[in-house]
Amino acid sequence: MTTTEHPSPDTPVLTIENYSLDYETTNGPFHALKNIDLAIHRGEILGLVGESGSGKTSLAWSIMRYLPKNAREPGGRILLGSDNLLEKAEREMETFRGRRISMVFQDPSTSLNPTLSLGKQLAEVLVRHRGLSWQQAWTEGEARLAHVGLKTPAQMMHRMPHEASGGEKQRVVIASAFACNPECIIFDEPTTALDVITSRQILDLFVELQAETGVASLYISHDLALVARTAGRVAVIKRGEIVEQGTTREIFTNPQQDYTRELINAVPDPSRRLVNDDVAPTDKPLVEVENVSVHFGRKPFLSALTGRKTERVTGNNAISLSISPGEILGIVGESGSGKSTLAKAMTGLNRFEGKIRFEGREIRNLGDMDNAYRKDVQIIFQHPDASLNPRQKIFEILSRPLKLFGDASDLERQVGDMLEQVRLPRTHANRYPHQLSGGEKQRVAIARAFASKPKLVICDEITSALDVSVQASVVELLLELQKASGTAYLFITHDLNLIRQIAHRIAVMYRGDLIEVVKASEIDSPDRAEYTRRLIEAVPRAAAQYQ
Amino acid sequence: MIDFTKRLLKTPQGAIGIFLVVFVLLVVVFGPLVAPHDPEKLSPLARYKGPSLTYWLGTDQYGRDIFSRLLIGARATVVMAVLATIVGTLIGALIGTASAFLGGRADELIMRTIDAVMSIPSLLFALLVVNLLGSSTVNALVAVAIAFAPGMARITRSVALSVRKQDYVNAAVARGESAGYIIRREMLPNVIAPIIVEMTIRVSFAVMLFATLSFLGLGAQPPAAEWGLMVSEARRYMHLSAGILIWPSVAIAIVAVGFNLLGDGLRDALNPRA
Repeated sequence: MTTTEHPSPDTPVLTIENYSLDYETTNGPFHALKNIDLAIHRGEILGLVGESGSGKTSLAWSIMRYLPKNAREPGGRILLGSDNLLEKAEREMETFRGRRISMVFQDPSTSLNPTLSLGKQLAEVLVRHRGLSWQQAWTEGEARLAHVGLKTPAQMMHRMPHEASGGEKQRVVIASAFACNPECIIFDEPTTALDVITSRQILDLFVELQAETGVASLYISHDLALVARTAGRVAVIKRGEIVEQGTTREIFTNPQQDYTRELINAVPDPSRRLVNDDVAPTDKPLVEVENVSVHFGRKPFLSALTGRKTERVTGNNAISLSISPGEILGIVGESGSGKSTLAKAMTGLNRFEGKIRFEGREIRNLGDMDNAYRKDVQIIFQHPDASLNPRQKIFEILSRPLKLFGDASDLERQVGDMLEQVRLPRTHANRYPHQLSGGEKQRVAIARAFASKPKLVICDEITSALDVSVQASVVELLLELQKASGTAYLFITHDLNLIRQIAHRIAVMYRGDLIEVVKASEIDSPDRAEYTRRLIEAVPRAAAQYQ
Repeated sequence: MIDFTKRLLKTPQGAIGIFLVVFVLLVVVFGPLVAPHDPEKLSPLARYKGPSLTYWLGTDQYGRDIFSRLLIGARATVVMAVLATIVGTLIGALIGTASAFLGGRADELIMRTIDAVMSIPSLLFALLVVNLLGSSTVNALVAVAIAFAPGMARITRSVALSVRKQDYVNAAVARGESAGYIIRREMLPNVIAPIIVEMTIRVSFAVMLFATLSFLGLGAQPPAAEWGLMVSEARRYMHLSAGILIWPSVAIAIVAVGFNLLGDGLRDALNPRA
């Protein structure tokens, strides 16, 4: 149905030749992309892999010709078929976008207009680019939605974005990207904002549609494992330069560049355990969580007076688990499953019902959490940017727990020792958090948690905001600290591969309920609960495919 | 810091604001040294004079040099306004941050009280305070500070609410820090930027509020060279010489406009993404 004829099959659909991109900043030009050479043929998926800041998304916007005002293009060509996109005027590009080239974004909740129904947004594409009437477009839209696997397309057309789930919304976005049978589609991390099981379904849909339509796809991701599942060829980008390109098999089995090797090794592989299974469940656990429930929302004033029962939002529903001294207990689950809520209840940030027993001492409410308990139970948060006060120097951040829990003598030396313990130079004490990289900041947060010599450290998704290579080194550091101090960890994550590497036992949570707690080695046995099995199946495992 | 100054000077508001405020501050510091005449020396023979070489801006109803009076009165007017704003801002910021930190019922109680106080216009409120305490410069300062606090508390609270949700505050709560430490060291430094912007804009309100109080005879007392008082006294003689009224009014306007523009410029400079 495309209006342009396809040239001979060996001409690529999208060719990028020697393309460079600079951003003008107050500190001179910043080279975002350097001499990029890429080609995508019809029916091919090219995976573009790189860490944050490597220029992946800049390349996507260059192809779409939607660059900020301070962008400069010193050279190169971007060819779609035989048209050089760099020479096209904005008017011409408008007719290209959506019809010959389209894009699927990371987060469907922000890429759809919240004030228009899903049907309108889909039909608009068809009306604009294929010249259909509204009525034709609407019927065509329904057919398209059925095509992307939505059960009730007619109703879905009338729904607003907030009435659809994340997965459903991303299906609609994909439907509108494929709506005009474009020659090329750019997928910019299309599953990153989705839950594990949903993203698996979206990925399957993508592969299916791709095979059916033969569209040339550029699949951008930071996740090598994901790309390994979809792409035929992979390009690795580092600081604006393509360092290596090849078929997926070549890249995984025989990487040529050190950087690629690093990236592949950094991807967590569940078959490579990083801890010894020598922690036996003891009769005297360090912490016992008994029937802990968390509810959100205040009782409305009137119903408090009249004594009427009100429905409250449940964050945790009667959770019971225990952690032995020196054990690493992993908690996995999708977003909204109540993992962090439990962590916050255990550190006194949420009110809870039920009781927590810490070394035999009973804690029933926030008032029972005295200084000794807070000293022994520390928490590390997900985003190091948010958990370190931007207006305090590292010295002040690290000296606080010492003043509260330990001896405040010779702070300089102690803070320096703490920094060395997490492998940061002592001189970092004089810096502000914004002068450190993401990984360094997370190290400071780890040092802060270990300052009081705690018996339990709760790690709340501490690696998910970090790049894979940084993530690996942070995990290594945590395990080292654990060996040296014998601290128990409650490790919360949505990364099943990672947790299978480091945890002794794994707790699976779903919508506020604890599904089960099992030994890490037994998580993939067929006796597991149905949800656990689905979760395990949905997780892509890069290395396993090629070994 | 240099980057920040550059951004501030880049906007026309910021550049003009800085220029005017620096000019006013120079007058405040050096004004009394360069004043050509004694501001309180009466010269019955030189009343209602227009601008001339001896009297640059003319003389008032007692033959006092208006230019010298303006230079000397700058201290009373501007310093008072800035002081009152700082005091009011500090009170308001503390109340607002504390309210955001405590949350729940305490927050509700504090904010509703603030709402009640805010429903009284600030001028009326200042008048009430001065009437209760008696009219003097210090009391006028207290009155303006108290009148400003509720508004600042509201603004601070809205900023502090978003800071309250940050993990570094959670981390402080989790390690058992006291409420005082969290409010002072964790939250206040992070809400300061919007407060500074609001404060510079409020300085101009304070100048005008002081001028109004003095005009009504509740602030500075004659023969002080406070600008509002000068306008107030000139009112009865303006048909004899408009200059007596116009020059102090212009001085007040310059200060008000200067601080207002500086506030606008700061808002843009502190928020580079906008």
